[in-house]
Amino acid sequence: MQKEPQGGLAEVLDLILDKGLVIDAFVKVSLVGIEILTIDARIVVASVDTYLRFAEATNRLDLHAKGGKDLGQVVGGMTEGATQGGAKGKTKGVLDAGKEKWDEVRGERQSRREQA
Amino acid sequence: MTTTEDSTKGSQSSARASYIYGIVPAGVRIPDGLDPIPYGEDGNQLGLVTEGRLAAVVSDVAADRALGTRKDLMAHEAVLNAIAQETPVLPMRFGAVVTDDDAVAEELLAPHQDYFIRALEQLKGHLEFRLRGDYDQDAVLTRILEADPSIQGMREKIAGVDEDASYYDRIRLGEAISKAMDQLRADDAQACVDALSKFAVATEVKEAGGENGAVHLAFLVRTDHRSDFERAVDELGDAWSGRVELRLIGPTAAFDFLPEFEVPDEAQA
Repeated sequence: MQKEPQGGLAEVLDLILDKGLVIDAFVKVSLVGIEILTIDARIVVASVDTYLRFAEATNRLDLHAKGGKDLGQVVGGMTEGATQGGAKGKTKGVLDAGKEKWDEVRGERQSRREQA
Repeated sequence: MTTTEDSTKGSQSSARASYIYGIVPAGVRIPDGLDPIPYGEDGNQLGLVTEGRLAAVVSDVAADRALGTRKDLMAHEAVLNAIAQETPVLPMRFGAVVTDDDAVAEELLAPHQDYFIRALEQLKGHLEFRLRGDYDQDAVLTRILEADPSIQGMREKIAGVDEDASYYDRIRLGEAISKAMDQLRADDAQACVDALSKFAVATEVKEAGGENGAVHLAFLVRTDHRSDFERAVDELGDAWSGRVELRLIGPTAAFDFLPEFEVPDEAQA
């Protein structure tokens, strides 16, 4: 069991882009429409690529390898296929530039803030 | 960060705006040493904009820079997580930017204070945890094969057959395995709910994600139930050892358990 205060980038993305209070619901007039660049790190699970990789991994399994006698042969035979089946297309690296409306920024003094 | 800051940031070529991380009760202390979203040459600082019983955690950002670098994203999460260790916090979704601190106070905090105060009170004394698990692929495939003779048969069919010749058979095998894994995921998520939800006030089953993703759940746990909850998670981790690798993330800000905000019917502005 691993314990982590914070997840990895993919987990953080999953959270902070989909959850949390949406500023637009509260602020209308002074909203600054900042362009948000996000990488969609979610992985498409059910694809032909995935199916082929599962088949490959299953084929490679040595179900009765209690003594592991033929393991070397099995693994050796599969390396090529496994590489070929590779991770291409595994992650969908879509650069999603969601551009929102741009409000003009008033360069007002930020007088209310206290140092944290 | 106060008005005196203006002279030093005057040379900034782009307009400055206020980035909002989240909302906390007024008067709380923000942990030291946190790195906000980068801005300017001489670093950046977190600040608090206080309005009545509420405060917003903010920092400066350039109004014309697109946000979303790894540093930006991790900073948003890290700031909120650090605060969540000590005090209830309502996290904003990434990318909440308004023109200045006056807008934070007058347009965000003041008009919606009833909702924010109520939400903070509801979250007080609670922590969010997220549990993620990944399958050990060989272990899970072995289990699926042993449980399903038809899948075993499909495996035997492709053994030793040329890759091109067995292409469609391999897709069929993979699809059958994928379906079996979905069923396993549903069963394992239910097992997590059964084992852990009694230590939480709220539980949410989320999509596991990833080819070997097994489970993903979020729990809202009372502070005084934390050790019981963590002990139960440890026990589950031991029971699943070798099959599912579990990771417990948190405590984090309660992203998954924010009380619903109803947009008021009366026009706001």
